[in-house]
Amino acid sequence: MNLLQHPELLDRLASHYALGTLRGGARRRFEALAREQAPVRAAALIWQSRLASLNELQTQAAPPAAVWTRINNLVQGDKARATIQAARQAPAAPDAESGVGRWMRSLALWRGLSVTGALATVAAMVIGLGMRHELSSEIASLQTRLQSTPQIAYVAVLSDDKAAASMLVTFDPKSNKLTLQRVGAYQETSDRSLQLWALPPAGGPKSLGVLGSDKLLRLTAGESDVRDVPTLAISLEPKGGVPSETGPTGPVL
Amino acid sequence: MTGVHDNAAMTTENHDALLIVLLERVARQDEAALKALYDQCASKLYGLALRVVTQREWAEDVLQEAFLTIWRSAGDYRASLSPPMAWLGLIVRSRGLDMRRRRAADRAHLTQELDDTLSDTLEGDTPDPMDTAQASEQAWALHQCLGQLENKQREVVSLAYVRDLSHSELAQQLRLPLGTVKTWIRRGLDQLRVCMARFA
Repeated sequence: MNLLQHPELLDRLASHYALGTLRGGARRRFEALAREQAPVRAAALIWQSRLASLNELQTQAAPPAAVWTRINNLVQGDKARATIQAARQAPAAPDAESGVGRWMRSLALWRGLSVTGALATVAAMVIGLGMRHELSSEIASLQTRLQSTPQIAYVAVLSDDKAAASMLVTFDPKSNKLTLQRVGAYQETSDRSLQLWALPPAGGPKSLGVLGSDKLLRLTAGESDVRDVPTLAISLEPKGGVPSETGPTGPVL
Repeated sequence: MTGVHDNAAMTTENHDALLIVLLERVARQDEAALKALYDQCASKLYGLALRVVTQREWAEDVLQEAFLTIWRSAGDYRASLSPPMAWLGLIVRSRGLDMRRRRAADRAHLTQELDDTLSDTLEGDTPDPMDTAQASEQAWALHQCLGQLENKQREVVSLAYVRDLSHSELAQQLRLPLGTVKTWIRRGLDQLRVCMARFA
């Protein structure tokens, strides 16, 4: 039957299609017709936009304030990643190791957070990535660690290319101790070291320290090294790291 | 009613214009604009998320994912040719339906969802349960036409769309005979077709 000769039937089918109650074979046949005949497609689109208004007519409810905090943290993480990407492309960082280069990591640093805020950030990041189940045990251990170090002022989560948290960076302003903890499975090869950099808004990257093969690295860093720096980065360098003046030579992770 | 509608329509127009400006700024990665957009729309969108996924915790995740989507793809808004609230609502509903699918295997929540759904429906006895606050110009027409439906028809149509449910899923969730659900949906849509044709 030619639907175009039965405008009322077309309109009825289109309304059921848009509502979602046209299912199975009938739905597939309607979709096939819509692909062939523009008026059928148009009828479906009209009903889709009409019924989409149902979304706007639902009763309002105020979300808890924590939701905005989580969104904002994720947005800051997004911006930090963009900054790092720009930093990776802009300065002279000859990336010879293209093989490793695809293994990229980025680090976002949120500053001035209380321990609670830091936990919220870690949790928000993980939820945002839809990894809650996979990472719940990891979060539990992070929480324990964070709670046992109450002086923590800054926290950052380094995530790997599978978007799994793999390194936790914390800063304790009292003792000027910067701590890197491995929490994921990543391990660089034995002739390489991970080096932590501060990426100040002006000037070149500044080395903060080199992570050996240990699970944990404690560094002493001036607070200004960390406080004025929106982003940190980690690069893969020859074993032992490179001098601060030269900047990262290996891939920024 | 007409007078109220005229005033509200004026406000709606201004509100749409404000949201469009904010979306354009968000597309340029303006964080302050994202916050302003959130302040304008979060309650409306959270209400929708709640209606789709029924659980507060899930609705919070949905709202969060939706705003991250908005932050990353506000540049696509203009091409959608939609009123801003319609575009935002589609993002929230889509994230909400994703969430429902992810949780579909989790039968433990089914009982609670049934209860929520039932209470939704019973509340449908109030004369005008659809909320036009923040609604775009386009939504006003639908609101007018929905107002002519019986409460139960309106509720079933609304639930079918917002949660993307089939006739049999609706019958199961509302504990109604399949034939009844089909009849309500058919009559509801028929009335909407006649009514909406006047706004076309």
